[in-house]
Amino acid sequence: MENFYAMLKATNISKSYGNSHALKDLNLTVQSGEIYSLLGANGAGKSTTINMFLGFTEPDSGTVTIAEKDATKQAAETRKFIGYIPENVNLYPYLSGIENLDYFCRLAGLKYSTGELQDFLTTCGLQSEAHKKKVSGYSKGMRQKVGIAIAYAKKAKVYLLDEPASGLDPLASNELSELLRKLAKEGASILMATHDIFRAREVCDRIGILKQGNLVKELKSEEVTANELEQLYLEYMKN
Amino acid sequence: MWQIIKNEWQFLGRSRMLLGISFAFLLILVLAVFLGSQQKQKQSEAYQTAQKHLRQQWENIDAMNPHSAAHYGTYVFKPTSLLSSLDEGVNSITGNVLRVEGHVQNEIVHSEASQMQAISKFGKLKSSLLLQYIVPLLLIFLAFHSVSSEKQSGRLKLLVLQGAKPFQLVLAKTLSVWVYGIALLAVVVLVYGLMNLQYLNGEVLGRTAFFFLSYALYYFVVSGLTVFFSARWQNATVALTSMLGIWILWTVFLPNMLMSSVEKWHPLPSRNEFQAAMKEDRSKGIDGHNPSDERGKALEKATLAKYGVDSISQLEINFDGLRMQADEEYGNQVWDKHFGNLREVLGKQKQTYQIGGLLNPFISLQNASMGFTGSDNLHHQAFLVQVEHYRRGFIKTLNDEHAFGGSKTGDWGWKANNDFFKSVPDYQYQPAALATVLPNYIYDLGLLFFWAIGISFFLFFGAKKMSIA
Repeated sequence: MENFYAMLKATNISKSYGNSHALKDLNLTVQSGEIYSLLGANGAGKSTTINMFLGFTEPDSGTVTIAEKDATKQAAETRKFIGYIPENVNLYPYLSGIENLDYFCRLAGLKYSTGELQDFLTTCGLQSEAHKKKVSGYSKGMRQKVGIAIAYAKKAKVYLLDEPASGLDPLASNELSELLRKLAKEGASILMATHDIFRAREVCDRIGILKQGNLVKELKSEEVTANELEQLYLEYMKN
Repeated sequence: MWQIIKNEWQFLGRSRMLLGISFAFLLILVLAVFLGSQQKQKQSEAYQTAQKHLRQQWENIDAMNPHSAAHYGTYVFKPTSLLSSLDEGVNSITGNVLRVEGHVQNEIVHSEASQMQAISKFGKLKSSLLLQYIVPLLLIFLAFHSVSSEKQSGRLKLLVLQGAKPFQLVLAKTLSVWVYGIALLAVVVLVYGLMNLQYLNGEVLGRTAFFFLSYALYYFVVSGLTVFFSARWQNATVALTSMLGIWILWTVFLPNMLMSSVEKWHPLPSRNEFQAAMKEDRSKGIDGHNPSDERGKALEKATLAKYGVDSISQLEINFDGLRMQADEEYGNQVWDKHFGNLREVLGKQKQTYQIGGLLNPFISLQNASMGFTGSDNLHHQAFLVQVEHYRRGFIKTLNDEHAFGGSKTGDWGWKANNDFFKSVPDYQYQPAALATVLPNYIYDLGLLFFWAIGISFFLFFGAKKMSIA
């Protein structure tokens, strides 16, 4: 992992849907081992940015690269590095956590023993009693953990998270933050879209504020307190 | 792809509701097969008993004038083919019993039998009803949300990120639903085979294989098209509505619309027209019952010349028998002409109807299903022709006995003895061999293949355009 220089890079990307501009000349870089948070209101362009890195949305102009590979044109290759955790990790409810993990790993061509799969789930914070329970009985937090375990087992170098903490209780949210820090420490590049200012301040290295498709402010989280960040965010939203 | 299929089957295996529906449906299928098989067996036994009884009656004729025996006649039964209980086809309309009598040929049309393609299957619990109408419905219900649910839940992104290609995904979904249909079909065929183990032979197995292939192709078309809609539309309800609309169009409206059009394009004469034409042509022949008939006089003259005598009374043979056979042969020519015309029209109707398979694979399935189970109109026509051949031989034997058996002209009281009646051969049904009839259904099979390949292309290009984000 240390040798892998994972990097997310968006250079002058713009995207419009009809007359509506989702992104305007966005420039963004996430280094290896860094957690970057995109803050913004609904429709600010957070999910569009993530979809571009996933290779599902093509920019009208500009380039999106992952480890210097074009995320649109070489999507099949860049997707191998990506772990994606959406707001709601919808797993197969009739399968257990470990079966879901096994299934998604096999799709990626990875075959793990039951012990290894259990290790992944445990590492991602899912208690062992839950491993073999059907996902239909899981809380949202537990499903998020399986989602992260899927990315972790894939040995993802890049984690893209779209509102991952939305709807999580404080404990589950805390566990998620710890897990993300752990992954970053291992060298992963993490880009997280969120509304949660305090969580962003707590867990991320850098924060970008998106407003109507424009990256209006970028700052290091250590430069501001949570309250200052909230004030800053509100000011940008009002103006 | 195998992983996706396996996962879909895990879903089927773990859904209590689906398992319950599948189990109940399997029971109904097995019941339909069992009832069909029982009915066929009972019908077969009844026919055999009746045939035996009629033959006994015939062989017990102590002494009778051959011409009276020709009018006494007999009946022949078409043994229902082993597979016809899977698809009854036109049998319920045409019936399986024909009268064999002098001067009287059996008609093929002017009954519901002329509606040889569009036969409603509703109303009876038959394997074909379940296999043609209900199984596809089940496949539609299984497949309509297969891809849209992945989209709506957001799993589709995850699946693609994990390396699943969209085409792999839609194909795997199609195959997993298709295999479900195949499993139901296999149960039907297997149960049927086990119930009729003693009758299985190469012919039956060959027909069963083609029967199976036809349904397998149709189920692929239905599964694939439903998955295509599921992938195409964001909303599962739209996919379901679209597919149900197509199901109704294919199974109810198009077959009836097409059949009505085919009957207009290639009309059959009405019963009155047909009978009048037959009567007119027949009147130009010899009236076997009317000695003063002009053409009868000509035959008499030729016969007297042949035997070198001056009058009928000097003949060693019975001229009445010759006259009746001549009348019969003329009647046969008339029948061949008119029946030939009808068969030509029916053939055109069949061909035109088959082309409808281009628009509606259900038409091809119905044709192939009835054809391979030996219960379609072509098989029935073949039976009619066989019976007519038998009737001609039967009547000729009686007329020959009348002419050459030892009686003199005008001796209507003369009777042939029991040995003669016993010597008249009984009717033996020769079922049409698969190799002979296969060309009739190649077009239907070809169209089903065409549809299956077309649907594969749909899936391929549909998957490419599928919205994932």
